[in-house]
Amino acid sequence: MCSAYLWKGALILMQTVYNNNGNFACSQYGEEWAGPDGDRITLAIALLKQLPSGSVNINSFESRLDFPTSVGIQELIEASTNWTISEDSESYLHGHSDSYLVAVTSSSEEPNWPAFSPNMNKTESQQELIDQWSKEVQGVSQGAYVSQAQHIVASSSRLGLKAQNDHGTMVWPPRQLNSEGARIESSTNTLSEPATILTWTRLSSAGAPSEFSGRAPLLDGVSTVLVAFEEGPKGVFMLADDEHEAPEIDGKVRFEVRRLYGQDGMMHYGLKAVLCQS
Amino acid sequence: MVDVAMVGAGQTKFGNHTLGLKGMWAEAIENAIQSVDHGFQPSDVDEAFIGSIAFGGSQLGNTAALLTEHSGMEGVSVRRVENACASSGFALRDAWMAIKSGQADVVVAGGIEKMNDLSASRKRYWLGVSGDTEWERLAGLTFPGTYALTARRYFHEFDSTHDDLVHVSVKNHMHGYENEVAHLRKQVSFEKAQSGFMVADPLTLYDCCPTSDGASAVILVADHLAHKFTDTPVWVKGSGAGSDHLALHDRPSITQLRATQSAAAKAYTTAGLTAQDIDLAEVHDCFTIAEVLATEDLGFAGRGMGGRFAREGEGRRNEGEVTINASGGLKSKGHPLGATGSGQAVEVFKQLRHQVESQRQVRDAEIGLTHNVGGSGATCAVHIFGRER
Repeated sequence: MCSAYLWKGALILMQTVYNNNGNFACSQYGEEWAGPDGDRITLAIALLKQLPSGSVNINSFESRLDFPTSVGIQELIEASTNWTISEDSESYLHGHSDSYLVAVTSSSEEPNWPAFSPNMNKTESQQELIDQWSKEVQGVSQGAYVSQAQHIVASSSRLGLKAQNDHGTMVWPPRQLNSEGARIESSTNTLSEPATILTWTRLSSAGAPSEFSGRAPLLDGVSTVLVAFEEGPKGVFMLADDEHEAPEIDGKVRFEVRRLYGQDGMMHYGLKAVLCQS
Repeated sequence: MVDVAMVGAGQTKFGNHTLGLKGMWAEAIENAIQSVDHGFQPSDVDEAFIGSIAFGGSQLGNTAALLTEHSGMEGVSVRRVENACASSGFALRDAWMAIKSGQADVVVAGGIEKMNDLSASRKRYWLGVSGDTEWERLAGLTFPGTYALTARRYFHEFDSTHDDLVHVSVKNHMHGYENEVAHLRKQVSFEKAQSGFMVADPLTLYDCCPTSDGASAVILVADHLAHKFTDTPVWVKGSGAGSDHLALHDRPSITQLRATQSAAAKAYTTAGLTAQDIDLAEVHDCFTIAEVLATEDLGFAGRGMGGRFAREGEGRRNEGEVTINASGGLKSKGHPLGATGSGQAVEVFKQLRHQVESQRQVRDAEIGLTHNVGGSGATCAVHIFGRER
C-alpha cells in the first residue's frame, strides 16, 4: 500500500510505503536523474524536511554519494533540517546504489525500492550536465576561492538561513564586529520563508562567473535574485527550477539545498531560491 | 597647506596591445614626461603610486617595482594600489595626500592593466574577483549581473526604462568616436544599441564596457614647483574618497552608491565648489546604468532623475550644463581596470589645457571632475581639477 504525491509543486516525488515502514523519494525527473543541480543528498534533505523531525542513522547513506562534499553529510543535514544524526537512531537514511532514490525507513537493511513515474521529461542536456559536474569537480580554482573552512564555518547560514542577532537587528550573512567594535554573537535565529524578490537578472553564459561557465550554456544561462527577508536581511541567490517560469519583482521565493558548484575535488552545497507558485 | 598641481599626463591608447606590462607602462610614462612643457626627468620623482589589479596574475607581487624599474625610476619609493576598478583613482588620491602632507614634492600616480592576452576562461575568472566571492559570485553573479540587478530595480523605483541606458551608450560612443586613444571608436545607432545581445537581462552588450589593455600616468607636484615645469598647470582642487559594503545585499539601497556620495561630498568641500561649477565630468560608466546613478550621486541630476537626464541629452558635449564622459567614458574609451582612474585625469588635464582634438573640446572648460568606482560601488574616488589655483 502506498501513496504518492508531488511535494511543494515540483521538487520531489514522494511515496509513503506502509508495508515497508518507510518514506521514499525521487526527483520529478524520475529515478535516473535528480535534475540540473540535484543528487541523493539534495533529495534526502528535501525528504527529511517533509517528515516530522527526529534523529536518523546515515551509516549506509554515506557510501552512496557521487562526490566528496566540502561540508560533511551530518553537518549538511543538521544545518539544513531539524533532524539530528545519531548512530543509535531507529530511523535509517538510505540511498539507492544506482538510481536517484532515497528513503527513510525503520530498518538498517536495504529497502525494497518502489517504482516512480516521472512527471518531467528528460532534457536533451541531461547527460551533458552529468558529465559537466564530473569535469567541474575535478577543476581547480584559478586564484581566489571559497575554502572548505569557509564553507564549514558558515554552513548554518549558508544551508539553514541562521542569522545573528545584533542588539535586535538580524544580520545575515554573518559578520564579525558591529559598528561599536563588539563581536556579534553567533548565528541562532532562522530567517523566515518565503522571501520577497527585490530584483532579478538572467545571465547569459557569457555573463556568468567562471565557476558556472560549463553549465551555463547547457542551461541557457543562470538566473539570480536579490531578495528581502521579513526580518530585514537581504541576500542574493541563484534560482532553481525556473525552466518554465520567470521571476517578478515582489514575487515570493522559498529555499532548497542544491549543488552550487564543484571545485578542488569536492561538491559545494548551498541554498537556491525556488519561485513560489502564484 | 600645500596646493597640488598636475604638470604632466599621458597614456597609451586603450584597447588591444601587443606591448606587455613593461612596454605599456613605459609608453604612458614617456607620454606623460613629454607633456611637461619645461622638461622632466624620471629622477625628479620622490614617490610613485601605481594602480592595478594585476589582472591575470602575470606579476601579482611587486608589480610597481617592476614598472618603475622599466621606466627610468629605479630607486623611487613605489607601491601598487589596489581597489579594483578604482585602483588608480586611489593612487591619484594617495599621491595628492603625499604632497599635501609635505612628505613628497614630485609624485607619479598611474595605473595599468593587461587584460586581453588571457584565455577566455581565465579572463572570465579575473573579471569576477572584485565582487563578494562568498555570497555574490557563488550565487552566480559577475559585475554584469550586479549592475543588471541594479538596473531592473532602478526601472522599478523610478520613471525610467532601458531606453534611457541606450541614450547613455549612444552618447558615449559618439564622444569616443573622435578620441584617438579610445578602444571602441565607432558610432552606434539608437536602434542597434537597443537590440544588442543580452548579457545580463536587462543589460545588453551595448550597456557593457569592453575589456581593455592600457596604462596611464599623471605627474603631480607641490605648488612651489609647478611653474618650474609648466606655465599652465592643472590644479587638483579637491579630492574625496568613500567606501560601502562590498555586496549589494548589505546596502540599504542598490539604486544609489553611498561611496560616490561620500567621496563627492568630500571632494566638493575640499575644492570649495558644487556640482553646478563642474564643466566636464569623467564618470565611471562600466555599465550604462552606472552613469545614470553617477549623475545623481554626483549632484548633476536629482534622485531618480538620472534616466531623464540621459534621455534629454543633458550630458552631451556642449549641450547641457555639464559634459559627461567627453572621452567616450569606459563604454567607448575603454576600461583597463587599474588604468581607468588616472586615464580619466589624463582626459581632464588635456581638456582643461585645450589640448584634445578640436572637435572634442568642451567649450570654456574651467573645472573638471573624475569619478572612479571599484566593483559595484564598494570604493570610490572623486577628484576635482581646475585651471585656476
